[in-house]
Amino acid sequence: MRHLRTSLLGAATLAALAVVPGVASRARGAQPAESPRQVVEIAAERFSFTPSEIKTKAGTTLEIRLRSDDTAHGFHIIGTDVDLELPKRGKGVATVTFTPKAGRYTFECSRLCGAGHEFMRGVIVASE
Amino acid sequence: MLPSSTVENYLKAIYKGASTLTPPHRLLPMGQLASALGVVPGTATTMVKALAESGLVEYEPYSGVALTAAGHKLAALVLRRHRLVELFLVRLMGYAWDEVHDEAEQLEHVVSDRLIDRMDEMLGRPEVDPHGDPIPNADGQVKPQESQTLMTCPIGAPVRVTRVVDQDSAFLRFVDRHYLKPGAAIQVEERDPSADSVRVRGEGGRLITIGTRAASKLLVQVARTALLLLLAVVPALAQDAATPAARGPRTSLSGYMDFHYNKPEFADGSLDFHRFVLLVTHSFSDRIRFVSEIEIEHALVEGGEEKGELELEQAYVDFLLSRRFNVRAGMMLMPVGIINERHEPPVYYGVERPFVDTVIVPTTWFETGAGIHGEVGRGWRYRAFVTAPLNAAEFSADEGIREGKQKGSQANAGRVGTTGRLEYVGLRGLTAGASWWAGRSGFEFRPRFDVPVKLAEADARYGRNRFEGRLQFAQVWIDNADLLNDALTRRVGVDPNIAHVLRGFYAESGYRFIEAARFGDVGAFVRYENFDTQYRMAGSGIRLPQFDRDAWVMGATYWPDPDIAIKTDYSVVRNRSGFIQVPNSFNLGLGWWF
Repeated sequence: MRHLRTSLLGAATLAALAVVPGVASRARGAQPAESPRQVVEIAAERFSFTPSEIKTKAGTTLEIRLRSDDTAHGFHIIGTDVDLELPKRGKGVATVTFTPKAGRYTFECSRLCGAGHEFMRGVIVASE
Repeated sequence: MLPSSTVENYLKAIYKGASTLTPPHRLLPMGQLASALGVVPGTATTMVKALAESGLVEYEPYSGVALTAAGHKLAALVLRRHRLVELFLVRLMGYAWDEVHDEAEQLEHVVSDRLIDRMDEMLGRPEVDPHGDPIPNADGQVKPQESQTLMTCPIGAPVRVTRVVDQDSAFLRFVDRHYLKPGAAIQVEERDPSADSVRVRGEGGRLITIGTRAASKLLVQVARTALLLLLAVVPALAQDAATPAARGPRTSLSGYMDFHYNKPEFADGSLDFHRFVLLVTHSFSDRIRFVSEIEIEHALVEGGEEKGELELEQAYVDFLLSRRFNVRAGMMLMPVGIINERHEPPVYYGVERPFVDTVIVPTTWFETGAGIHGEVGRGWRYRAFVTAPLNAAEFSADEGIREGKQKGSQANAGRVGTTGRLEYVGLRGLTAGASWWAGRSGFEFRPRFDVPVKLAEADARYGRNRFEGRLQFAQVWIDNADLLNDALTRRVGVDPNIAHVLRGFYAESGYRFIEAARFGDVGAFVRYENFDTQYRMAGSGIRLPQFDRDAWVMGATYWPDPDIAIKTDYSVVRNRSGFIQVPNSFNLGLGWWF
């Protein structure tokens, strides 16, 4: 009985992941081992991301590692649900994966970080 | 008789060791016990025999040791005291979870049952300590926990961290840094035996790769309630995620402050709440933003008497059209110099801002206007604004154009100023830029005449690892300064002796010689400044040597947190005058940003 209940829960989980794209994207690492990966390291400080221009191929899974050199910043890719907070200097690295389709994606600091906060923007360019 | 701390430590070690045994084994090998206690096996055997005689353990030579019911209860009560003390220190006394173990090791042997029961009550009869370890009740019983490690839980299933079984401070800090503390909702994405690694997706989508040893020390529970909730809201989630719509309106509040103690030589010191600033921003959408910055300077604003100032330093709307081209209108910061747009106290050394950023570049320089900004690629970005002009009638010999700012207060716009900056941020840690301001500023005089003002500025800032260096050069040209002096002499009866050219530069070097220490960061700096508000005079103006100044400023900053700065410095200012001297000063400051 217990085994049956566990199996049902497992099947229901898989069904849920399959029909919820937002959740599926979070579990992506479990499935496409063959999908190309690209590690990108971005440094953030008042008021710039370096590099602020990321070039990749559509379908490549970007593993974006973000480190702040001063205060806490945010990293939001506009038009997507990627939005995370970067810990302050010396408090660690924030990592997120993002698999773009072909196109340009603007990213920005999403946590108010000072007088020039609105200048903290960059772009991911994914080509075919 | 109360058991000694040694007895308690033996019982506790046997209790913990026994929890690692798998049935049918029930005796803890003596070697394992000796190793856990850091003693040689002979010492452990002698002590265990004594414990056996007291009825606290069963001892079987060559096999091992197990707790009797009495020993089990005593050991559980030691752990109860240890874990309640840890939780008390964290929750009520502000200790970090990685610094309570050693304190609890001492206190577990001395706190009374009555005190422990009061602490238990104050904490609300908790079931686990800060590390997720179960707290035995007053009878020594523990509620059974169902958990797995990150090495054994199902891949891809949402789980919640429940316990960290290694209390080593460094490991606890590692867990904290990677957002894996008890309560964190995570899921294992991949286990790679060939690399001894486990990839975990943490809260906020963070991907964390940890070693298998670390993974085996983290206990988790499959989040079944979360799963059921997820199933219940599938239709709503599917709709949201399929079309990740632009985010709705959001409002943020931030601020900073600067509190100073200034002690000039040969004079009394002063306490000055120099700045208290609040920033309120609102995003109407991803593309339209409002930003404001309101500042109270010198703490007090009194009608009719110049004391402090209440200023609206920024209040603009940004229309973010594309990466290359965006439009801004309202009250804006002039994009000139290092400090004017980047002036949060924790980001610069020194209690007071540089002299060059005060009397040559009139920081904080803000004005009403409109303009464009954007990034053109490869780390190059620009801003260009049209603003209300400076008011030449307020210029002075010692502070240059500083008092000429109209600050958007019914500003005369019969003439306009233009300003802009080209900046390079393409290399990590480097910001280099050049900027200008130009405008005709003599609108207040009748008959009207032009006082064209131009400012050119170049700066570079490089910060990497612990080092930071800054260079800045700025020069101001005031054309028709002789006409301006004549007009002001007619108005106030004294020749203000305003110069044709003002010039200044500075170089600064700083180094954080303590970084990421438990108590924070500490850095020291030295800055040299050279500035002259009468670098070139116009016509018959007399160049006064007291305005040709040098300054050495040196000091230190302590950051208990990257957003809090406690600063001190000593400032030595010299001029070319044989009569008028500037006193040295000692300064202390406290600033923060949130």
